[in-house]
Amino acid sequence: MYTPWRSIMAGKYKHGKPAKEFAMKIHSIKVRSAMLLLAITVTMVGIAADETVKKPEQVETPKQVATPGHVTGEKLYPFDSKDPRDEDKPPIELPESVAPKLELLTSEEVEFLKSDEARAFTGSAEDTVEELNKRSPKEVKAWVTVMQMVVEHNNYKEGRDSPNIPLNTSSPDFNAWRLQRPRSMDPKREAGPVSLGRYDGDGGPPTFGGHPLALSKEDLVAGKVNVAILGAPLNMGSGWRDSGQRATAELRLLGWPMGGSDQYVQIKASEVLNIVDYGDVAVDNNSTERSMRHVREIVREIASTGAIPMIVGGDHSLEYPNVAALADVYGKEKVSVIHFDSHYDAWWGGTHLIGHGYPVYRLINEGHVRAADYIQVGLRSSGPDESGFKWMREQGMRYHNMAEVEARGWKAVLDRVVAEASEDGRKLHISFDIDVLDPAFAVATGTPVPGGITMREAIPIVRRLCAESNVVGFDLVELHPALDPTYKTTLNSAHIIKACLTGLAMHKKGITAEHYLSPLSSEHAIDDYYGDQQKYLDATKAEEEAANAAEEESKKAGEDTST
Amino acid sequence: MHLALATLILVCLMLPFELAFGQWSIPGKLQTKVNKLNEEQVEFLTSGAVLRFLPQQQLEHELATRDAESLQTLVTDLMALFDEMAYDPGRDMGATPLNIYSKRFNKGKLPTPALLRDQEREPGPFSVHRYQFPQSGVPTFAGAKVAIWPEDLVAGKVDVAIIGVPSNASSGRRDASRGPNAMRATNTMVMPDVQSLIKPDEVLSLADYGNFAVDWLSTELTVGHVTDMVAETAETGAIPMLVGGDTSMIYPGVKGVARARGKTSFGLLQLNAHPDAERFGDHTVSDRQSMFLLLDEGIVNGSDTIQVGLRGPAVTVETLQWLRDREVRYHTMAEIQQRGFQKVLERVLREVDNGPDAFFVSIDVSVMNPTDMPAAGRITPNGLRVEEVARAVRHVCAEKDIAGFEITDMAPMMDLSRLSVLNANSILNACLIGIALRKSGLDANYVHPLALDHGR
Repeated sequence: MYTPWRSIMAGKYKHGKPAKEFAMKIHSIKVRSAMLLLAITVTMVGIAADETVKKPEQVETPKQVATPGHVTGEKLYPFDSKDPRDEDKPPIELPESVAPKLELLTSEEVEFLKSDEARAFTGSAEDTVEELNKRSPKEVKAWVTVMQMVVEHNNYKEGRDSPNIPLNTSSPDFNAWRLQRPRSMDPKREAGPVSLGRYDGDGGPPTFGGHPLALSKEDLVAGKVNVAILGAPLNMGSGWRDSGQRATAELRLLGWPMGGSDQYVQIKASEVLNIVDYGDVAVDNNSTERSMRHVREIVREIASTGAIPMIVGGDHSLEYPNVAALADVYGKEKVSVIHFDSHYDAWWGGTHLIGHGYPVYRLINEGHVRAADYIQVGLRSSGPDESGFKWMREQGMRYHNMAEVEARGWKAVLDRVVAEASEDGRKLHISFDIDVLDPAFAVATGTPVPGGITMREAIPIVRRLCAESNVVGFDLVELHPALDPTYKTTLNSAHIIKACLTGLAMHKKGITAEHYLSPLSSEHAIDDYYGDQQKYLDATKAEEEAANAAEEESKKAGEDTST
Repeated sequence: MHLALATLILVCLMLPFELAFGQWSIPGKLQTKVNKLNEEQVEFLTSGAVLRFLPQQQLEHELATRDAESLQTLVTDLMALFDEMAYDPGRDMGATPLNIYSKRFNKGKLPTPALLRDQEREPGPFSVHRYQFPQSGVPTFAGAKVAIWPEDLVAGKVDVAIIGVPSNASSGRRDASRGPNAMRATNTMVMPDVQSLIKPDEVLSLADYGNFAVDWLSTELTVGHVTDMVAETAETGAIPMLVGGDTSMIYPGVKGVARARGKTSFGLLQLNAHPDAERFGDHTVSDRQSMFLLLDEGIVNGSDTIQVGLRGPAVTVETLQWLRDREVRYHTMAEIQQRGFQKVLERVLREVDNGPDAFFVSIDVSVMNPTDMPAAGRITPNGLRVEEVARAVRHVCAEKDIAGFEITDMAPMMDLSRLSVLNANSILNACLIGIALRKSGLDANYVHPLALDHGR
């Protein structure tokens, strides 16, 4: 099936030193002329041989037409890529009065004029009549012909258009972009996360939040890892395209908050959870489609160990493989998604099957997530129009647009969202597009839209969701640090991730009460300004006692095992 | 051709056998290390294939320090890795599927047919300004009039049509799609030439010919349309002057002109840090493959192709050898540092003079030093200065029939100052000046008497 290494070698990877170094050493005319003779002989032989050597074909269209299943690496579904929202509207009726205008048209052309396709040019029936009245029968004929030509051009036509974009399958480097380095190439080490620093983990190359590095499933299992932060440097979809690569690098350079403690709840996530930097996942930055499958494999690898994958960096196409991978592990329709974004990302019907505007639609269409399990927060971009919102309503999607926030206030919407997300302990994936934030907080994103939420709104909702509901996956996408000469956007992104890490730590400790905050850090309780001083003093004392009891117990357990 | 082959073989024969044929032999003292490996494993080790993963010194270190079992594991893993490199139809996606049910499958690549245009007007370039001497307004390339259809170019006898190709893919840092508009908005494109005191916009009929449509998610789906549009433009007699966009667009740029003027009917002068001659890419077209495609498809002759300023990660022994085998006249930064820019420029100009009558001039802005071009998408240190590039471009555009011009891969977002845009405009202007000199019957060395000396 594959090209064996020998035949690859025949084409490439010749290894040699610069010829001149050797040529300089040869002075003898006899040797030179002998070599010249040899060279001529070999040339003749070489030319003869050359004819038998097949030149690798540049464009080799695969015999089997790739189906959308190939995008994901499975062909589970007969995927109807036709958009159900795109159904043809019934033909219009034309009044008798325009009959003379149509006299040169064939019956097919008349049908076309009445069709939904023609209305993309003409508008309503009245508009069509108006257009007809402007023209002579001859002009009508020419007009209809050119409209048909445009429709024909826009549609896919077998034979004229390629149904796919062939890749150079003869490339010996075809999969080089995603090849994983065998463990055996590096010195042996025990499986488990590795600290890169010399000083108790500090002082090494930057990792997400300074957390140790893990590179394989064995590392995750051996380290009993709870959260694996995975960089995903996908540049393709977003309007401004530099870049996922920079995002994962900058989040490591400036992402120290991801390792810090949280003052609001007095918890340091890394003391409760085993958190690792799981490196970056390989992507093909010339093809979103090709990247999807590998991202899905790596996310699945993380989730299958029970760890929570936290994918950070690139464009929002990533929501698709991230959630699909969770569905692979937990089952189809078993995971809900909460989608923070200024855009609804359920677009469909373009030439491409995946891009940063399509992930929601793909996930629902393929049956990974029930539409009713999709919660969207923060939408405010110019699209979609009424048909998009009607479709969402019909599907039972729960959307909380900025229009709702404008009507009800943030606090009401926040409580409603958290309640919806925490229903019946459902598994939840949070997809956080940083453009849900107002551009004042996140200017470095591909498609910013003003009027978004503030950091003071974003931190509590993310912390609460990660604490109060059953989060199994998280992504933070669309960070493009080059668009922000300050490091504000990266800093804010790191704090969103930290808010979730804190929430996950709270969840692990069993702190899932509604909107928990530390009674100690949220009130000095020296006077009774708000009239509820005692409540804070009592709560603080109760927490201290619980902590002391836990300490006693662990001491006792230690003594038991030693005797 | 035969001579080149013979030379190559001669060179090969001068090398120790195993080097010439890509083999690496196990040093004698390490011979015992491979005793436990089977025949195929030893063959794999000595084939040179393994050097793709482990450089020679590392390989020898591994051999010297590993025990038999660990070596066995390593070689087995590396062989598996090598086998996974190539395409496997049972495992890999050999093509990117598209949504063939889309109602806009090819939408956006169809110029509006005449009958469906909103408005009728006589053909010819038109001004976008209200004032006779506008200070601002809708930005256009070189402040030129706008042309939309080929008939506008013909009616206006347009000499040079400046066109944006806002592609944004390939391997560089990405923002090249904003290059064309940044160059329009920073209106420093047309400057009088201080040596000849010629004003290119007065001598030439210029037009901003808008942008050609691109598919941001696929270079492959972009090249066909851009090729068609470049060919159509060139057929009007106007010189297509393309503003990228990433450097993959040099492929449809040159190919389109070749469709209008004939394959190999013109030479190609490219100033670029990167040879872009990748032979084994997994995509069918990209910036790194662009020169390979042009040479491999016989669109330009290797011997009529000149590359200047090569350096950086893609300049390898294999690539230079490949270029040499195709008789490409390449001039690396090593040559420029050894001989000095002036001497290399003279050599390049002689090569241009000895080449075909017509030339296509291609600039990947990475050729310039980062001090002059921080916004280069594939930025590479130790390049040429902007005035060196401008001199070369001005000279060639003055001395030759220019078949086309293209400047690519300026990503304005990478440069918070306007320096990169300013310099990109000055390179384009250098070519406009050259074309204007030629049209005025002057040569590149002409000096206006007032320009050189105050005469007192």
